[in-house]
Amino acid sequence: MATTATITITSADIAGDPVNVSKTLTCTKAGSTADLDQTTGLNRVHLRSATQKTLLTGNAEGNNLAAKVYIINKATDPSLFVTVAISAQSIGKLYGGDFMFIPWSQTDTSASLKVAASSWTSSTGDIPVEYALFHEDTDFLTNA
Amino acid sequence: MATTTATITLASTDLLSDELALTTSSTLTLAGNATGVTQASGLSRKTTATVGSVALIDTVVLYRADDYTADGANKVYIKNCSTTPAEFITVSLTGDRATDVHGNADSSLTEIGRLYAGDWMFMPWNASGGTKETFTVTIAATWAAGDTWTFDGVQVVAADSTVNNIASQIDAVQFPNWVSSASGAVVTFVSRWSAADIEIDISEAVPVTASNGTAAVATTVEGTKSKSDIYVKPSVETGITYECMLIHQ
Repeated sequence: MATTATITITSADIAGDPVNVSKTLTCTKAGSTADLDQTTGLNRVHLRSATQKTLLTGNAEGNNLAAKVYIINKATDPSLFVTVAISAQSIGKLYGGDFMFIPWSQTDTSASLKVAASSWTSSTGDIPVEYALFHEDTDFLTNA
Repeated sequence: MATTTATITLASTDLLSDELALTTSSTLTLAGNATGVTQASGLSRKTTATVGSVALIDTVVLYRADDYTADGANKVYIKNCSTTPAEFITVSLTGDRATDVHGNADSSLTEIGRLYAGDWMFMPWNASGGTKETFTVTIAATWAAGDTWTFDGVQVVAADSTVNNIASQIDAVQFPNWVSSASGAVVTFVSRWSAADIEIDISEAVPVTASNGTAAVATTVEGTKSKSDIYVKPSVETGITYECMLIHQ
């Protein structure tokens, strides 16, 4: 059940020489070569509030297990950003078109991933966000 | 304007009953507009230090928020170059969590996640620093050429007896951990990094004068810790090699 994620970062002119970074990872369970076998699938939400909302709820049973999160701000207006946070700790802002792919330690129930459409107003329209979680079975008894 | 593109492809033929094939590209731009980012750290590679035991492993600051634009459209790439599946790097931010992380006593950090062997991550980073400690030194009373003032490992020898000139002399020196400015006989020092545990007094900023010259120290701004420095911590005492790159405003 191999799931791979490939990142390619390229630029011909951000430095004196071209930048070309390309890496592929295979999503595996913590500390092993066994493939991650669970996913939420690709989800889509429309944010219409500057209030922080929970995108993925931290599950303490996921502590020490492997999980990968993909989030993308699908707004086409570059000024519309979404603030991503772990609980109250802000990670950064995804501007229109930006994506992120991070490991996620569900250290406890306070480790929920939250988003806020901080730049939203009634005149900007909704900010669409898509996300997916790839993870292990959080039931240790069946996490073979 | 530079054009930098990040592309991600997520693929699986057997995770689901239908094929997963997702590819999206993002042109990295400045916050809130379509102008391309123009600054990057370049791809760097480093192996964490070897220590005597797992208990001695500590976190390493990868990027300090104070060095970059707060709330800019900064992007961080980190890769664990290990090929041993059990070896991981824990990536954290300076945090405000009250609870321990993975049972360790580093409750001030917010753990983002663990990069296992071969894993990479790509994320936005708000680079929110804290408040830099600020204090003043006022050169006063009677000074003479040859009197000294010592701080931060640097000694300044007065060239003459004029207090304003001595303040200017101090300001002209480059201090390892502070930046300075002078106005009249007062020199203002600002720490290079945010921190909550700095408190400078006369025992650390020491005048030695032949007469009754003084250099009173007064804290004007109390520092606070940075809000989002990025930390990495290897899981093994033998060190793990990682690569990283910061593209930023």
